Amino acid sequence: MNTPRRHVAAAASALLLLGAGCANTADSSADVPALRYAAVGAPAATATDPHGRVGNESDYTRFAMLYDVLTYPDENGGIQPRLAVSWDSEDLTTWAVTLRDDAVFSDGTPVTAEDVLFSLRRIQGKGAENNGRLSMFDLDASATTGEHTLDLVTKGPYAEFASAVASLTFVVPEGSDDFTGDPVPGSGPFTDTGEGDDTTAVLTRNDAWWGSTPGVERLEILAMPDAQTRAEAVASGQADAAGSISPATASRYEEQDGFTVLRRPGAVNYPLVMDTRTEPFDDPDVRRAVKLALDRDQLVQTVFLGFGEPGTDVLSPNEPTSPDAAPVRRDLAEAERLLEESGRADGIELTLTTTNSYPGMEEAATLAAEQLGEAGIDVTVEVHPPDTYWTEVWNVEPFYLNSLGGSGFVDFARMALLSEGPINETGWTDADFDADFQEALATADDARRGELLGALQSTVADEGGYVVWGLGDGLDLIAEGVRGMPTGPGFNRIFIENATVGG
Amino acid sequence: MTALRAFLTAIARALLLLLAVSAMVFVATELLPGDAAGARASNGATVEQVAALRAETGQDRPAWQRYTAWLGSLATGRLGTSLVNDRPVADAISQRLPASTALVVLALAFAGPLILVIGCWAGAGSRTRGTRTAVVTGLAAVPQVVLAAVLSALFAGALGWLPPVSLLPPGGSPLESPHLLILPVLSVALPTVVFGAGLLAGAVADTVRRPHAVDSRLRGTPTVLFFARDVVPFLLTPLARVVAISAGGLIAAATVVETLFGYPGLGSLLVTSVSARDTPVVQAVAMAAAAVVLGGLLLADVIAVLADPRRAPRPKRRAPRYLGVQP
Repeated sequence: MNTPRRHVAAAASALLLLGAGCANTADSSADVPALRYAAVGAPAATATDPHGRVGNESDYTRFAMLYDVLTYPDENGGIQPRLAVSWDSEDLTTWAVTLRDDAVFSDGTPVTAEDVLFSLRRIQGKGAENNGRLSMFDLDASATTGEHTLDLVTKGPYAEFASAVASLTFVVPEGSDDFTGDPVPGSGPFTDTGEGDDTTAVLTRNDAWWGSTPGVERLEILAMPDAQTRAEAVASGQADAAGSISPATASRYEEQDGFTVLRRPGAVNYPLVMDTRTEPFDDPDVRRAVKLALDRDQLVQTVFLGFGEPGTDVLSPNEPTSPDAAPVRRDLAEAERLLEESGRADGIELTLTTTNSYPGMEEAATLAAEQLGEAGIDVTVEVHPPDTYWTEVWNVEPFYLNSLGGSGFVDFARMALLSEGPINETGWTDADFDADFQEALATADDARRGELLGALQSTVADEGGYVVWGLGDGLDLIAEGVRGMPTGPGFNRIFIENATVGG
Repeated sequence: MTALRAFLTAIARALLLLLAVSAMVFVATELLPGDAAGARASNGATVEQVAALRAETGQDRPAWQRYTAWLGSLATGRLGTSLVNDRPVADAISQRLPASTALVVLALAFAGPLILVIGCWAGAGSRTRGTRTAVVTGLAAVPQVVLAAVLSALFAGALGWLPPVSLLPPGGSPLESPHLLILPVLSVALPTVVFGAGLLAGAVADTVRRPHAVDSRLRGTPTVLFFARDVVPFLLTPLARVVAISAGGLIAAATVVETLFGYPGLGSLLVTSVSARDTPVVQAVAMAAAAVVLGGLLLADVIAVLADPRRAPRPKRRAPRYLGVQP
């Protein structure tokens, strides 16, 4: 007779637990100006270490609010000082960096050059998890030169220093290594209350922050994997802002009172990747034919529902240094002529691999295949499961869709376009390109460097293995009264400290 | 004494089954292509870097060593740490357990009586039984995602009675805002009802054919009394088994509902960990679900002994007949 009783006891204690949960949530959110931001993220994949593997947008946003970074991108893609106030170099290799002297961690200790160097080394040490974020630096040769000054040494001349230390250089107190327990003190605009969970981070304004007073006293960052659910959270008043909603949802709310759709141009890019080492893409004529056979307007209309711009194969068209390329018009006759010239008048058969990791990738591949078919390029679409796409297809298959987000041209070229780049997925090996790239990085004059980088982008657009058929807008939904959400390119989107609600 | 011995045997059997489940889940996770080190490494990482990551997290050891190490730490009450983000597995589980428990308990409380009623309806009709079970089977084929979307479109969209998403306040209890639970609970409970009723219908059909039931009907017992006195008492054990199996499924497989309503339970944790090959987390969630199923079946066995209307000693048998449905 002891058993049923034990089960009853177990059930009762389960209910008590639930009840206890009820009781201990002191309602600290009452009447405090609070912003609830539903960001892209799977709660189960929440990261606590800002320097390791970060898969969630919600985590990046939280880290940017908790920790200071050296520099950050503004609304126009320019780089602005943040924890670093100035940086200067004679030889573009040893960079004398001056930090602000009024930054303080939430435990009261000042932020010093030692903390910065420690954090940068820790980030570099976890390069395998963070895409080699600081691999251009020789941090063993780098050293602090004072309480708030340090010399950072790059492996070669690197004129784009400011963007190399932008956005993700989260500075933590020297010696911090365990991020799984109590919150590690940061010096950012907000501090972690520790009240949150994997789904919702609860932050409170850091009144000791050196910058202008953040827009809200309380910030809740919600990790939500489904785009529709994020939008509905705002629509039903359970959140104030939703990051990255789908074009279909955006067009529904665009005309509705009480909601605003923010557009972040150039945020979504699903280029077709052609491996220039592999037959038939080793023939420049074939690559050109593919680029000419696509109807880019139709792709943008279908995949992004018009929330975007047709692409010109320029990888990062929204940077200050990007070339002004003419629109690529569909020219089936020319595409067929090129195929004939390359001895493939009977057409080609290809397999284009895609996935549904990100909304629209599958549709983009299907429509592109249809359009290529009209030029005699017979394409079979293969949809690969998302969890193994980035290990089994990406950087492996000769013809697939990639998803490029946010990183600027210099960073991307370093990884993917130099002959020795670690993720050279298009097999782009061009000694001249490599030399010009190094020359650009060794050019101190901004205008001249911009010209050189622009020319490099043009070369890849004309001859390379990327078909940038269109760029979709990043679409955020905000409720009435929310102001100051970032709309700039790249990681500008994670710096939400100036957002306000109501009033 | 017989009851006690039967009970102890049942416990031992449940523990053995739990062990077998853990081994099966481990092997299944092993068989998937790739591992947690690959999932943790960024896209540009070299083979050497991934290998270093693998060694750092102890994944370079042979599978049997990792499994026995996991068993050993489980025996001392530790669930280990995630291979992907280094966090204690217990943290991730305990954060989601209240939400999942609330969902499952409420869904079963709602589904249990309905399973009984619909099961009787489907199983008792002598001539219409084929049609009735076909209706139940047909309803069971409606995918949960469709049901959830329809419920949401109806109650949150068209009628506007309920919120379309069910975000729980951070650190709060799910019972704090009961209206948030209605749509998720209905979305998981309704498929459970048809699934359970379909299974129970067989037991009902058997029961109404028993001599005492046939007699009772011939004597003209009113329908309600007939079911309450002559049928339902025989259904408690199969019902408990159906509910136990459903509970396990609801704990680990409510993913669709969790994602659609933004309701943070164990299902999405399981899916995310499987896709990241995060074995310690997969094992922990699978164990939790299996423990609920086996615990529930154990309870069903106890009910079988205590609530058998004939008060007959439990017949000896080797293999558990989980659904209690006789061919």
